[in-house]
Amino acid sequence: MATAAFAHRVLPVHQSHEAPLRVGLIGCGGRGTGAAAQALSTAGPVELVAMADLFAERLQGSLRSLRDPEQGVHERVRVDPEHIFTGFDAAEKLIASDVDVVLLATPPHFRAQHFASAVAAGKHVFLEKPVAVDGHGVRMALAAAELARQKKLSVVCGLQRHYQNGYRATMQRIKDGAIGELTAARCAWNTGFLWHKERKADWSDMEWQVRNWLYFTWLSGDHIVEQHVHNIDVINWAKGGHPVKACGMGGRQVRTDPKFGNIFDHHAVRFEYADGMWMFSECRQIEGCQNDVSEHLVGTRGRAHMDSERWTIEGQESWTHQGPNNNPYQTEHDELFASIREGRALNDGVMVAESTLTAIMGRMATYSGREVTWQEALESPLHPSTPASYVFGPLANYPVAVPGAKA
Amino acid sequence: MLPESSVPDRRTFLTTAGAVALSATAFGQFSTRSRRDEIRVGLVGCGGRGTGAAVNALNADPAVRLVALGDWFPDRIERALAGLMEDAGPPATGPDGKPTSAAPSIAERVDVPPERRFVGQDAIDRVLACDIDIVILATSPGFRPAHMEKAVAAGKHMFVEKPVAVDTPGLIRVRKACEAAAAKQLVVVSGLCWRYDYGMRATFDAVHQGGIGTMRAMQCSYLTGSLWHHGRKPEWSEADYQIRNWLYFNWLSGDHLNEQAIHSLDKLLWARQDQPPAKVTAMGGRQVRTDPKYGHIYDHFSAVYVWPDGVKGFAWCRQMDGCKGDVSDHLFGSEGVCDVFKHTIRGAREWNYTGPSNNMYQTEWDELVAAVRAGKTINNGDYMVKSTMMAIMGRMAAYTGQEVTWQQAWESQENLFPASFADADMKVAPVAMPGITKFV
Repeated sequence: MATAAFAHRVLPVHQSHEAPLRVGLIGCGGRGTGAAAQALSTAGPVELVAMADLFAERLQGSLRSLRDPEQGVHERVRVDPEHIFTGFDAAEKLIASDVDVVLLATPPHFRAQHFASAVAAGKHVFLEKPVAVDGHGVRMALAAAELARQKKLSVVCGLQRHYQNGYRATMQRIKDGAIGELTAARCAWNTGFLWHKERKADWSDMEWQVRNWLYFTWLSGDHIVEQHVHNIDVINWAKGGHPVKACGMGGRQVRTDPKFGNIFDHHAVRFEYADGMWMFSECRQIEGCQNDVSEHLVGTRGRAHMDSERWTIEGQESWTHQGPNNNPYQTEHDELFASIREGRALNDGVMVAESTLTAIMGRMATYSGREVTWQEALESPLHPSTPASYVFGPLANYPVAVPGAKA
Repeated sequence: MLPESSVPDRRTFLTTAGAVALSATAFGQFSTRSRRDEIRVGLVGCGGRGTGAAVNALNADPAVRLVALGDWFPDRIERALAGLMEDAGPPATGPDGKPTSAAPSIAERVDVPPERRFVGQDAIDRVLACDIDIVILATSPGFRPAHMEKAVAAGKHMFVEKPVAVDTPGLIRVRKACEAAAAKQLVVVSGLCWRYDYGMRATFDAVHQGGIGTMRAMQCSYLTGSLWHHGRKPEWSEADYQIRNWLYFNWLSGDHLNEQAIHSLDKLLWARQDQPPAKVTAMGGRQVRTDPKYGHIYDHFSAVYVWPDGVKGFAWCRQMDGCKGDVSDHLFGSEGVCDVFKHTIRGAREWNYTGPSNNMYQTEWDELVAAVRAGKTINNGDYMVKSTMMAIMGRMAAYTGQEVTWQQAWESQENLFPASFADADMKVAPVAMPGITKFV
């Protein structure tokens, strides 16, 4: 039933005589599998030829799903056993293989390294958000984005609001002055609990943490980075830049069981842009509370409110987006693959890196209780609970942050 | 001293002829002035703020005498008295505002013999039964509704510390007491002290006159460190313990969003010309100050208040050591931004306050006593009730994780006051859990 929405997918008819673009998927969870299906639903010849995941059964589950005719992309799934890679080195092996495009959809900790390797190997990239969990990773991503620019490689990121008609139309109006000068902004991702995988007896700490990556800051960056980055990014988009500092608070009030790792369940951050404008950001993952996933801009002449389904401007020029609406997850792949075929590289690398670092700066502020500057966030090292090596074994170092504690 | 019954008409005298008579009296002749010229003040709640208010009262006018003290604990009374006697404060001033050595010092006007020092739960009643004109209500906020009702019933002018309640049933009592006080032409001055700061008044006047154009958004923050804790002594009952450490128990303080950050919320209300918000959403928690000795209050809140015209007010507070401190308010308008604490507007109409600065705590009392003398009424009830409700509804939103409307907040049935002060009725409610804790 879950695939019913895809049951009647009609693949675009090939119009060209080009060789198929060869796609490799790295990170075969729900999002990666979805991204692969979308990549395979683009115009022009395209094939999924390689897959990589830390866990063989995750990869096989994804492959079965993509081969299911109900998905509608099975004819474009050409993954032979030699192109199935598992383990901690699976991504590097896939990147070294004969693929044109890689889809990077592992837990965020691994993304920056995969991005750097893919660009070094000359691959076009679809890059899920966030692109890193710490300043170390963001610096790597910024370098990869620059190298991709030099190599004219396309880099499209999973901040899909950038590929959604309603957001694009609203942003155009804001930039055309529909709400005047921006005076304040508010964004939120307040939602309930997410999935959790109960620990099995034979799982090492490493396996337990990677399978429950949402809950460990070194893997996900905390939900302010992993999920709320979408909303923060919209405000950066409207502002045409990133904040210069952040002050925030947060905590772990309800989701306190150790099985939920060390991330907070709520954050509230005040980001300050170079011109002094404040963005008030909130994110919460607590079940049974008032939910709100939206972005809100206050201008001198009006307000804009956006929430993925409805886009409105109130003020002297009131307006509501009337459509057409699109599936932005599909559009991001349509535009990525079109850019590759047409030889005009798209590059979202700096955008996703800056929005990711904005969220990281916010987390550093809520964890420490201190004001954190952009430079401090950018220069931050690997998150301190990052394991020394990638092996399935014991891990102990994942304390919950205590704001105000001496460093 | 005259028996209380011999001066039944003293209030009438004070509020009419008294003003003229006293202002015409040279200070050198003060000591010969009639007992009926005095303005007699009683203090209930002898902590730091109450004692400070008493000093302000004594400094407001050389005719003020502090004549009765009440507190739950005898040592607080003795400590307050010792402080008042030792620290005479600034010299008393004459009608021209200049210090006058002829005016009696503060210490000379502290006239609280042991028989007018009242300890325990009925201290309020016994202070009000004294021959006083003005009562200072400065206990923990949870007692304020009952104390205000009693003060109004006794016909006393009053200085009412903020906040004025910790829950809706209490706040409704305060609202009614304020209405009754207005009907009786009693002066009600609130301890929301920024309303008495000259720079703030000028700043809000400038904003109300269109200095920033149309209001678009507002921010206030009260981010500060942790506060005192008085520990526990074996001889204390549980009620004694909680009242000594009242900050940390909701039936007494209403949490720090109410007890402390109300100053900030009141400025948002003031900015909107005392029109209340339509609703609030909030989050918060108890992340660092988790020891049970800190009761059940949170250590941080982030609230978003929304007014009927869509204007949002982003209100934060935190009590945590080692974190960024920030006590500030900013108003963002269509034509400018007001930094409330700096008393500046930048934008189309640049403005900054150049007038005199004042001690707002003293001005509260100068205006209160002047009103009593002149027979005029000040009643700060409207905004002090609304600001307290803003704090209560913000706490409700944070504790439950739900949006709370102004209407819903006024319909809340949550009564935090204990059934009795017996240990069995003093159980500490669990720390609120958003999504689990229900709106009551």
